[in-house]
This record gives sequence, C-alpha cells and structure tokens, in this order.
Amino acid sequence: MKLRGDRSVISIFILMMFTALLLLSPSAAFAVQTSPPVQTEWWVWEIALFVFSFFLGIIAVIAGVGGGVLFVPIVSSFFPFHIDFVRGAGLLVALSGALSAGSPLLKKGLANLKLALSMALIASISSIAGAMVGLAMPENIVQLSLGATILGISVIMLLSKNSAYPEIAEPDTLSKILHIYGIYYDEQLKKDVSWQIHRTPVGILLFIVIGFMAGMFGLGAGWANVPVFNLVLGAPLRVSVATSIFVLSINDTAAAWVYLHKGAVLPLIAVPSIAGMMIGTKIGARLLTKVHTRVVRKLVITLLAAAGLRALLKGFGI
Amino acid sequence: MMKQALHANRVQLAYASVLSWTSSLGIFFIVAGYLAYVFQLLPSAASPAEVALHWHLRAAELHKVVAVPSGWDWITQLGRGDVLSYASVVYLSSVTMFCLAVIIPVFLKEKDRIYTVLTFLQIIVLGIVAAGAVSGGH
Repeated sequence: MKLRGDRSVISIFILMMFTALLLLSPSAAFAVQTSPPVQTEWWVWEIALFVFSFFLGIIAVIAGVGGGVLFVPIVSSFFPFHIDFVRGAGLLVALSGALSAGSPLLKKGLANLKLALSMALIASISSIAGAMVGLAMPENIVQLSLGATILGISVIMLLSKNSAYPEIAEPDTLSKILHIYGIYYDEQLKKDVSWQIHRTPVGILLFIVIGFMAGMFGLGAGWANVPVFNLVLGAPLRVSVATSIFVLSINDTAAAWVYLHKGAVLPLIAVPSIAGMMIGTKIGARLLTKVHTRVVRKLVITLLAAAGLRALLKGFGI
Repeated sequence: MMKQALHANRVQLAYASVLSWTSSLGIFFIVAGYLAYVFQLLPSAASPAEVALHWHLRAAELHKVVAVPSGWDWITQLGRGDVLSYASVVYLSSVTMFCLAVIIPVFLKEKDRIYTVLTFLQIIVLGIVAAGAVSGGH
C-alpha cells in the first residue's frame, strides 16, 4: 500500500514539474515566434533542449505515448525556435525513436511488414501533402490547427479503450488478397497467437488522414496508428503497437524530406532533441515498474491538453 | 527465444538486420556531426551563435539571412562542420529507404509480386520526395 503511494507521489512529482513549467512560464517565452528571443547564449538553449527532451522521453514512455506528440506542442511553447523548426525536429524525434525500436520487434514477429506496407504507401503520399500544406500555412493558422488537433488527441487518449486480442470472425477480401495475417508468440499468454484483420479499406482511408496530420504538424502518429490497427482493423494490441512503428517510420521519412527541402530542419534543434529523447526513453523504460503509470498517463493527457490550449490561444493572438 | 524467431519470415529478418546497423550508425553520425559543428572542429558557413540569432524566424526567412544547409545544396561541401551535422540528419532520413531496397530481392525470391510492386512504389515515392521533386528542393 505504501509502495503504491510512493509510486503515485513520484509520478505526480515528475508531471507537476512539467505542468508548472508550462503554466508558470513568463508570457515572453510564448510570444517568441515573431520577435527575436531574449539574448540568452545559444548553448544554454541547446543544453536546456537536451535536458527537456530527456525528461519528455521519460514521461512519454511511462505514459505510453510517443515522444513526438508531446514534443511539438510543448517545445514550441517553451523555446525560442520557430514552429517550422520544431515540427521538423518533432518528425526526426519520432523517426529516430521508430528506427531504434524497430529491429527487435521485427525479429520477434510482433511487427508485421505486410500490414505496414499495405497502409503506408498511400499514407506516405498524404504525409508529404500534409507537410507541404503545413509549411505553407500562415503561422496563426498552424497554431490554431495544432491546438485543435492536440486537444482532439487528448480526448482520444482519454477515451480510447484498447482490445488486447480482438476477435475477427472473417477477414475482408482485400486483406486476403494482400495476405495480411500472422502469428506471434505472446509472452503474457505463453503461447502462439494467430491473427487476421478486417475493414482494410476503412483502415487505409484512416491512415491517409493520419499521415496528412502527422506531416502537417510533425507529430509522429502512434496515438492514431495504434487505435486504427487495434480497434478498426482488429489486429492484436501488441502487433498494433509494433507495426505502428513501421508505418510511422515510412510516413515520417516522407514528411521529413519535405521539411529538409524547405529548410525547416536545423541540426542545432533536431540533434539535442533526438539525443535527449532517446536517452530519456531508455531511462523511462527502467522506471516503468517504479511509478504509477495510470496516474502519469492521466497527468500527461492533462499536460497535453494544456499545451493544446496554449497553441489555440496563440493562434488567436492571445 | 527460438520459438519467437520462427515467426519472423525472411523478409522481416532481412529488414531487421539492415535496420539494426543502419540506425545504430545513424545515431553515431548525428552525435559525431553535431559535436564537430558545435565545438567548431571544422569551419562552418554560419556558426551556431549566428544561427541562434535567427532561429525564431520562419524557415524561408532564416535562409535569406543566414547560410545553413538545406535539401541537397551541401553535397559538395562535406568538409564543413555544419554540413556534416546536416548530412547526418539526411542519413537518418534515408535509413527507411535502404531497408526497403534490401527487401525487394527477398520478395522477388519468394515470388511475392504484390509486395515487390508495393515496396518498389514506396521507394519511388520516398525517392521522389528525397530528390526534392515535390517540394521545390534544391
């Protein structure tokens, strides 16, 4: 009982730190997009970005959300970088996380390449379109749509219920043609689990929308990929999470190239973010058993909603 | 462990094997390139301090006032610190294409026409955007 209380306290402490920073930051920090930043040494921002991304990586893992979705709204609120560069860095943060996590998931048979490739082709085209539209939009519209999207994601995260092993009565014709089915060893059940999917055309349509939004806001898209694989297509939760990483790596690669060509990637912003987030996620994975994940998840959703509200207000010029 | 390995087919194992070393190499590159840039071990067109003066501007505006690499315009200047750091990010953005290219021969060997075509089309899409053909790149 005491242990449970301790875990909650640690969890709440970590999140309170972030929420306090977000809400109590001086307003100048939020009005940096059009005016030059306060003259702080550049290396101070570099170290701050690394440390910030490190903590973001820790709480992202504990809350079971992708770092990319937290990175853009929060970093664009705290740091003096234009949101163009924050979105470019956000895509690379999500991409590098997916690349480093991918290999073991494929070897274990948890991720399914056929499922990922079937969804990613059209989704990556829409991701390119999203990136182009996002970089062409006026700044206040970007902030408004980002704010609305982040608030929407908070609601999805709050309401969505996963299904570990969905029952599929009959696979649909398209999934049969594309040979999308599989089998994996479930460590919890200690047995092989075979799976198939249904509603493939609906899934493809949803991935087009997800790809567009990921490209437009540089968010990564695990928050949407997993529910679509799991709840719409009927893939087991573990397969959904693992396969989501591959769809994300293809879509974010496509969008990242648009950002690279539009000059919206600065290594000075992208690299400390990637490094901090990767080290943070490794530490976060170790802390998973020591903190109360459900409490952290709820607090992260609150934090995300606050960041979304901030972006929305910025979009309105408030 | 053996049991798990049985469920990964040849295509997945091929992809996983390339992904494993290319992504590790990518992490090494970005750290090395970044350190070379920020510690100014090599000359750069714009120092980190100069870039930081303008990073509050939109991407298009920043490129008008400070020389930083973008697209492929850096390719002939690999001896610069800023370019090395940028090239490492470009490498990271290319890893997925390498992995996809590796599995095409495996799909072909397995006579899996659908996925040979799908993977090929995916590489074409990524190749077109990487070349800068859709985003007005350099």
